Order: sequence, then structure tokens, then C-alpha cells
Amino acid sequence: VTTALAWCAIVCGVASAGCTVVLALRRLALARQERRRAEAEARLRPLAVMLVEGEVPDASTLEAGDAEILAGVLARYSRWLTGDARSHVARFFEREGGVDAEMRALGDRRAWRRATAAYTLGDMASTRAAPALVAALDDHARAVRAAAARSLGRLGAADAAEPLVLALVEGRVPRAVAGQALLAIGPNALPRLAELVDHDDATVRASVIELIGLLGDAAAAAFLLERLRDASAEVRAKAARALGRLAADEAAAGLRAALRDRIPFVRVSAAHALGMVGDRDSVGDLLRVARADAVPDVAQAASGAVGRIAPDLLLRAATVPDAGPHVHEAADLLELRA
Amino acid sequence: MTDLLELIFEVVAVAALAYFIALNSIYLALTAIAWRAIGLHRREQGYAATEDAFASPLTPPVSVLLPAYNEEAGIVESVRSLLALRYPEHEVIVVNDGSSDGTIAVLAEAFDLAPVRKVLRETISTAPVRATYASRRHDNLFVVDKTNGGKADALNAGVNAARYPYVCAVDADAVLEEDALLRVAKPILDDPELVAATGGIVRIANGCQVEHGQVLEVALPSSRLATLQVVEYFRAFLVGRVGWSRLRSLLIISGAFGLFRRSLVDAVGGWSTTTVGEDVELVVRLHRHLRDRGEDYRVEFVADPVCWTEVPEDLRQLSRQRRRWQRGLVETLWRHRRVVGNPRYGTLGLVGAPYFVVFEALGPAIEVFGYPAVMASAALGNVSATFLVAFFVVSILLGVLLSVTALALEELTFRRHGRHRDAARLLAFALLENFGYRQLTSFWRLYAFVDLARRRHAWGVMDRRGLASTSAGRSSRR
Repeated sequence: VTTALAWCAIVCGVASAGCTVVLALRRLALARQERRRAEAEARLRPLAVMLVEGEVPDASTLEAGDAEILAGVLARYSRWLTGDARSHVARFFEREGGVDAEMRALGDRRAWRRATAAYTLGDMASTRAAPALVAALDDHARAVRAAAARSLGRLGAADAAEPLVLALVEGRVPRAVAGQALLAIGPNALPRLAELVDHDDATVRASVIELIGLLGDAAAAAFLLERLRDASAEVRAKAARALGRLAADEAAAGLRAALRDRIPFVRVSAAHALGMVGDRDSVGDLLRVARADAVPDVAQAASGAVGRIAPDLLLRAATVPDAGPHVHEAADLLELRA
Repeated sequence: MTDLLELIFEVVAVAALAYFIALNSIYLALTAIAWRAIGLHRREQGYAATEDAFASPLTPPVSVLLPAYNEEAGIVESVRSLLALRYPEHEVIVVNDGSSDGTIAVLAEAFDLAPVRKVLRETISTAPVRATYASRRHDNLFVVDKTNGGKADALNAGVNAARYPYVCAVDADAVLEEDALLRVAKPILDDPELVAATGGIVRIANGCQVEHGQVLEVALPSSRLATLQVVEYFRAFLVGRVGWSRLRSLLIISGAFGLFRRSLVDAVGGWSTTTVGEDVELVVRLHRHLRDRGEDYRVEFVADPVCWTEVPEDLRQLSRQRRRWQRGLVETLWRHRRVVGNPRYGTLGLVGAPYFVVFEALGPAIEVFGYPAVMASAALGNVSATFLVAFFVVSILLGVLLSVTALALEELTFRRHGRHRDAARLLAFALLENFGYRQLTSFWRLYAFVDLARRRHAWGVMDRRGLASTSAGRSSRR
């Protein structure tokens, strides 16, 4: 036992010392590397700006390390660029072979490498990568699928709308990321979303309706109205929210009816939506809900909606002794922030 | 009589040796798991679409709860740091838990508070609320002023006031980094149906330059005791929490920084007001609630959203804090003893909970009595002097190795201590902590049993300088 302990002590001592030496050397190396990178970035920035502005400077003479740093700088820039400037970045990466290299990397056996490639392709701004990224939405690694969804949004790939919606509703990509990608694609995604409003799966319908609310215009209200009577409470709630976001006046009657829905979260959505629509005829119904609904979230949403539609009426209602706590709360906040 | 004494010493010495081998094997295994997990996590940062989540209207809003008891010195900085969080939609609810200092007054002045008749749900019963306030300057800042009921009670009042589907509990003396909420919410954004709660890393702010609720420069504290805790926190968070999280047995989400699904907190009745370990107790209760219902879920630890907090710089307060943590842990394990060794609770019941009982709750007794017992055995001739020396050298070197690997994990990944001098100092303290500090903390943790026997349940007071100035307050980090 003593011999084993002695060996154990030697191993621990050597491992600790080794670890310490490696740490010290790595720290020094990293400091040097970061300094060099900062210097190179400062040196290459004018070249990157020229490329973004559409000039074609000779980048072939760059050393491998500098070329990589330049690509990194351009990829970062591209996140904030639109229009021609972004096309120039895309052309640079297509010309220099960056796009092809990353598309090949989408087939790498290592998940992290595929995910990095999927992410980088979005920053390279080349729409040539869109089909490969759509295929990556089926990758077995979640990180790859999420990176591909994000990049499809960056590329504004309208053809990717349907696979993105399906990936979202099937939970293959995080909701926040897929939703943001669809928003980035913009109204081009609407036609395909509209086709999915009647999907058999309530989860699909709910997600699609939510996205239409975020992306659409008043014209989309027509086919959302009937979803206020959907069998699924989740769909009814999302439809109410969407109609509110679209500020659809014609939805006011349906939303007022939804204030009497038996599911509280549908009533919350309806109250919020009426506030956004700004329908003064609904104030009476909303005040009734604010005073009488037993679910605090519903009453709170209703009083908030009255404050948004008609602040004067809310303040007047709050002077009545039995106005209810939620009306008082909304009135206090309204006065405070007036 | 001598034979009996010899036998006792021998049994305790063997138990200490077995304990020592088992504990260090577990630590080494956790270290290996943590290395892999953090390496993967860091790599993922290169392609994590965090910015997209920040911009997304589908990111769920969060209510940040800040319980405050006599936090006059640091509360304004903390609230500023919370208001400055980068998150699509969040509200900050400060709950003044009957402070006897000027907490309410400094808040009112700094944020231009005015009384409002805010409606609080009554889902969880709490001590009476005296008043509620809203800020004229910040639409998303509310203050609930209530009579004193303890930290758990204050958090419950915050849950009752929360509007959003997730609640994030933060200590009043904590400063969150700008992206901390977005990062700690990342697992929830990725899988909202599955993830029930997440916790982030707590780092030590003593010595750092903090201005306007932000840590501007990371530096080590000048106090040796606080620096020892820096190394200790690396080991606890980067190795322990990450490791247990990967094993799906995370029992502790620090009270200083944790994010929970509100409906679940409501369902289990909120934070318990009858233990000083309300943070660990809530997590265990959530595990039980979800496992009893056969639901698939995760409680996750995320290693990079940073919460900075102040730690005690004198032995008296550190002792009090550690004894309180230990009391909280023991109370929780006793309350949920049904989980221990119960296959119904999966790895939590079969691995996590037994580990916490044997090594965290009862471990200090073995550590404190084990060393003298081994020495006594040697004195009685049952153990050779060579063995004794080898045993102590190995125990020290293993401790050093574990501390150094935790430091290495920090250094190879997050590297928050940029100064070479600080890195060298941390390394020196990773060695030093094995000579006295660890033994002292074991003693305090053992002493917690005396507190339990005396039925001491008070939190105690921690004198704090505050991240901006000086004060007294209640600390809850673990």
C-alpha cells in the first residue's frame, strides 16, 4: 500500500507540475498570438474596407495567416452589411474558395466542424450555400441544425421558409433561432406560412400563426380570424396575439368574443390584442374583465389594454371605489409614466 | 480497553483511507467530465446564435428577482447591472425584506420610485407586503416593500409579483455581466419544454473594479482569505457543478444566480422558508416534483454567464457562512431522504444524492476525525510511519492536483484573470489552500452539526463593504 501511495504521490506531483508548466507556456503563447492578431487586423482593415466597397485588390499575395484574419474580419463585417456591400463580401468568399471549402466542411464527420461551417456560411453571405444549409437542417447534431437555421436567415433564403417552419415546429432547431431566421427572411416567407395555417398538427398551426403575426400585414388578418375559433386553445391564443400585432380592426368583434374563452391564456391574449388594435368599443368589455375575471393575469392584461386604448377612461374608471385592484394598478402606472 | 481503542482507531483510519480514495476518485472523474463538457461548451460559443436569440421576439421574457435585506451599500449598483442586462424583454423586481437601513430610500432616490398599487398574485403565501413601487425612469423596475420574512419569503413575494414565465433569482450584492441572463437562458431557449431550471457561475468580485453595475477590470482580492475562495469557487463551479450537471444530478443552483420556470416554482410552493438552504432545497424539490410525475426534464448549469459577488474577508464571517451552507445542505438532505439511494430518482437518487450525503454532509466528520485517527493508529504501531508520511503527501498532492486542474480549466477556457501576476498568485494559492484552509472549512462544516443540534436557524449578518461602498447585509451564495 505504501508503495502504491508513493507512486500515486509521484504521479500527482508530476501531473501538477506538468499542468503548471503547460499553463504558463500557453498563457505566454496566447498573449503573443493575441497581440499579433490585433496588429494584423489593424493592418488588414483598409483592405477589408476596399473589398466591402467593391474594389478588387490583389489578395493573392497575402500570407496564409493574414488571409485567414482578413476572412474573419470580412465575415464579422458582413453581419452588419446589406445590399451591394454584402454582395461584395459574398463575391470575395466565392472567388477565394471560402464558400466551397465551408460547404465541403458541412460533410465533416466532426459535429463541431459542421456547425462552424454552417455558421460561417451565413457570414460569407453567398446564397449559393442555401441548398446545402437547408440540407443541414436535417443534420443529426442539434448545434449544426441551429447554426444552419441562423445562416439561412442571414442569407435571406426565401426557399428555406418551409423547411425552417417545419424544423421549428418539430423542435429540431431552437424556437428563438428559427423564428429570428424567418423574420430575417421577411415577407418572402409569408406565402408558404399561409399555406400551413390549416395544417393538421395544432403545434404547426400555432407556430405558423405566431410567425404570421410577426411578419405579416393587415391582409393576413382574413385567414387568421377563423383561427380564433380553432379547437386548440394554443392556436386561438396565438391567433389573437397575431391579430393584435397586425392591428386588424376587423378582428375586434372576434377578439371581444375571445375575452369569454374558457381558457385563461386565450383571454389574456385577446385582451392584449384588443389593446393593440385600439378598439374603443371594447373598453366596456375590457373593464368588465379587469374587474371581474378571477384569473389575475387576465384582469391585468385587460386593464393594461384599456390604458392603451383610452387612458382617460381608465383613469376615470379607477376613481370608482369598486374598480378592482388591476384597474388601480394600471391607472397608477399610467399616471406615473405620463 | 487498549485493544478496543486500537480497534476504534483502526476502523476510523481504514474508513478515512477508503473515504479518501473514493472522494478523490469522484473528484478526478468529475474533473474529467467537466474538462470535456467545458471544452465542448467553449467550442459551441463559436457557432452559438446568441445574438440571434437576443434579437428574436420569440425569446421568452424573464422576471429578475432581487431580494434585499439591509443592502443599502450595494443595491443601487446591483439594480443598475440588472437593468443593463442585454435581454429582449425583462423586468426587475426588488423585494425589500423589511430592511432596517436605508435600502428603500437609496432605491427611491436613485430610480425615482413612486408608490403604485401593484397587484400581487397570492399563489405562494408570504409575510405581509407594505407597499409596492414603480420607477418613473425605468418601465421595467418594480420594488415590493414587505415585512421581514427571510430571503426565501422575499423571493416568494417576487414570484407573486412576477409577470413573466421565467424568474431569475439574483443576490442583492451580485453584479451580473451584460450577457449573463441571455447565456444562462440559452438551454431554455434551445429546449423550453425540457429545461426546468438553469444556474450560472458565481465569481468573486473582491478586488475587481466595479462601476455603474459593471465589472470593469477583473483582479484578485488583496485579502488572502478571499483569494483562497477564488480557487475554491473555480473547483466548486467549474468542476463540481459542471460535472453534476452532466450527470443530471445537479442539486445546487446558487441562490446568487438561478433561472427557473415560474409555473414550476408556483407548483412546488416556492422557496422554503424553513431552511437556511432554500436554494438547494428548491432544486431538490423540483427534481422530486418532476421525477414523481415521470416528466422528462433537465436542470442545467451553464459555465459562462458570470455573476460577480463579494465574499467574506475574515474568518468569523466565513465560518458563519460555511456553517450556514452546511446546515442548509444537511436540512435539505434530511427533508428529502427518500431520494437517497432510490432508483425512482435515477442518477440523482443513486449517485448524486448519496454522494452529497456521504461526502458533503458526513464527509467533514470523517476528514476532521480521520487525520488524528490515522496518526493515533501510527502511534499505536498499527500503521507504519512510512505509510503515514506517504498518505499525507498523497492527500496534499491530490488536493494540489485537483486545484491546479480546476485552475487549468479556467485558464484554458474563460481566462478571466488576464494579469500574469494574478495567474501566478492563483497558482500559489492552489498549493496553499491544502495547508490549513481546507481543513478549517471541514471543521466549520462539522461544527454546523452543533448549530443544528442547538436548533440555530438564523442567517446571521455578513458585514459587507458593498461593491461600491460599505454595508451590512445577508449573503446567500454557495
